[in-house]
Amino acid sequence: MKFLPLIWRNALRNRLRTILTLAGIAFLLFVLIFVMTGLSEIQAWEGVAATHRRVVVQHAEGLTAELGIELENFLKGDIISRHAEYVCKFNWFGGYYQDPKNWPPEFAVDPPAMKPLFDELKFSDDTYRKFCETKTAAICGIALMKKYNWKVGQRITLIGTFYPCNPELDIVGEFTTKDPRQEEQMFFRWDYLDELLQNKKIVSTYWMKARSDEDIPRLKELIDAHTKNSSYPTETITEKEFAAQFMSMMGNIKAIVGGIGALVLVIMIMMTANTMAMAARERVTEVAVMRTLGFRSGQILAIMVSESLLVSLLGAGIALGVSLGVFNGLKLSPSPIYFPVFLVEPKTMVVALGAAVTCGLVSSMVPAVRSARRKITDGLRQVV
Amino acid sequence: MGSPVVRVQGVSKTYYRDETPVPVLEGINLDIAEGEFVALMGPSGSGKSTLLNLIAGIDRASTGRVEVAGSELSALSERELAAFRSRHVGFIFQLYNLIPVLTAFENVELPLLLTPLSKAERRKHVLMALDVVGLADRQDHTPRQLSGGQEQRVAIARAIVTDPTLLLADEPTGDLDKKSEEEVLTLLQRLNKEFKKAIVMVTHDPKAAACAARTVMLEKGALIAKP
Repeated sequence: MKFLPLIWRNALRNRLRTILTLAGIAFLLFVLIFVMTGLSEIQAWEGVAATHRRVVVQHAEGLTAELGIELENFLKGDIISRHAEYVCKFNWFGGYYQDPKNWPPEFAVDPPAMKPLFDELKFSDDTYRKFCETKTAAICGIALMKKYNWKVGQRITLIGTFYPCNPELDIVGEFTTKDPRQEEQMFFRWDYLDELLQNKKIVSTYWMKARSDEDIPRLKELIDAHTKNSSYPTETITEKEFAAQFMSMMGNIKAIVGGIGALVLVIMIMMTANTMAMAARERVTEVAVMRTLGFRSGQILAIMVSESLLVSLLGAGIALGVSLGVFNGLKLSPSPIYFPVFLVEPKTMVVALGAAVTCGLVSSMVPAVRSARRKITDGLRQVV
Repeated sequence: MGSPVVRVQGVSKTYYRDETPVPVLEGINLDIAEGEFVALMGPSGSGKSTLLNLIAGIDRASTGRVEVAGSELSALSERELAAFRSRHVGFIFQLYNLIPVLTAFENVELPLLLTPLSKAERRKHVLMALDVVGLADRQDHTPRQLSGGQEQRVAIARAIVTDPTLLLADEPTGDLDKKSEEEVLTLLQRLNKEFKKAIVMVTHDPKAAACAARTVMLEKGALIAKP
């Protein structure tokens, strides 16, 4: 601790250089935190999806193609019922509220099937009753209610983008759940959407719950075989696969995130190493003087590495402060569609700090070791 | 005079420039007693600073023995040498060599950071050392805010703050104006007489050397005056 003032003063020796290095580290770590948070959000959805036995039936051509309404009868029939229950029509509406920037995840569903199918969503019996009784009803996650300052009983209008209609919805209740991401969602009735679309019976997906894990492959076989030669061949997948497929539309994001992370670390190390090398070069004589005073090589090494660590950790502090403020505090998301929630997780903070520590250690090691090992007499002779 | 605080016996030092040996010191024998003030004089390249460095324990003799305050320096490891310097040697440089980012107080405190003294004790020692050199009122000034003479006095305070056995000064007045030179020489004399510090001072200046009790001449790496 008694060396701290010395370390601090040395770190701030050339203020402009230190500020630029700090800003560079902070920016690069912010990028790292940003992409890692994106990845963890994707993995969070996949993780949540994996905990339920929900199965999704979609058109074999993907989400943009529609399924037939008559498929519902088959899915609710005896053959499938042995393996699954709670068949629910499920359309992602994809509309916005007031401004195209406000894009809450809205889904048109069948209330009676939706309730047991998504049993992790907790809402009152009164809310459920109103959801079933009122055609224009909508139920919303509490985070979404808070975000737009909505109140139960309020009427809101969603503006359709790819569905040519603007549902006017009455918020009849709110729901909670353990996953904050789901609390950003809202559900309204599929039959109301269908009415607005002049009863075209558009179904983008059917969701259901497999009775057991063993039933899932059987469901895939049965459903996809049944529709194989129809006008809407299906692809039956688990919710986890559905989540992964949805996110894969953004490309091989995991590889991209990994690449960016490695790149950030390398650039950070190179940038800080350059700063430390310059700082070490300027202080050859000073180091020799300190060693003449009795400082050991190890102490010089520790002081120089600590300076680099200090700058790196300050950069990490700035990056984490800004990230936590923007994403966790102000709840801003880079893409409300893909990331209704964008929260920096503790593990991301640990990785960012780890990257800063790695950068601090690696970048300073070579110049610090060279300084500490240089002969004192050579250092004293050096004219800087 | 007391027993020798420095004993140099048969010391030679050879540097190698691309494998070519360059002898700098040859067969040096020198005793310096406790409380003695010795001036080392000689032309450039005569080996004065090299001898000073050997006594300071910042360089090693090629052959021979250098014994300071009872320690045979060639027998010490790098770590032990660092501890030796911290305990026994106060070094004063020609160009002061203060740490520019630290205040006068912090510069003087620097060697004390290597001791187990508490913050309060360190403060007491630093203020005492700054008082001895007459700069207690400049403790918060950085080197840039001090004159050359003042910088050198801070450097002397740094050298004496640990109460070392021996003060080594390498051309301490070489970069100073006349007035500052006199102040520094007076201070060194005071440290020698009042505080009984043994001092070895390298100098080109006969006037500076005259402040010492004894002058030792070096020429081409050999002593030409009797130790």
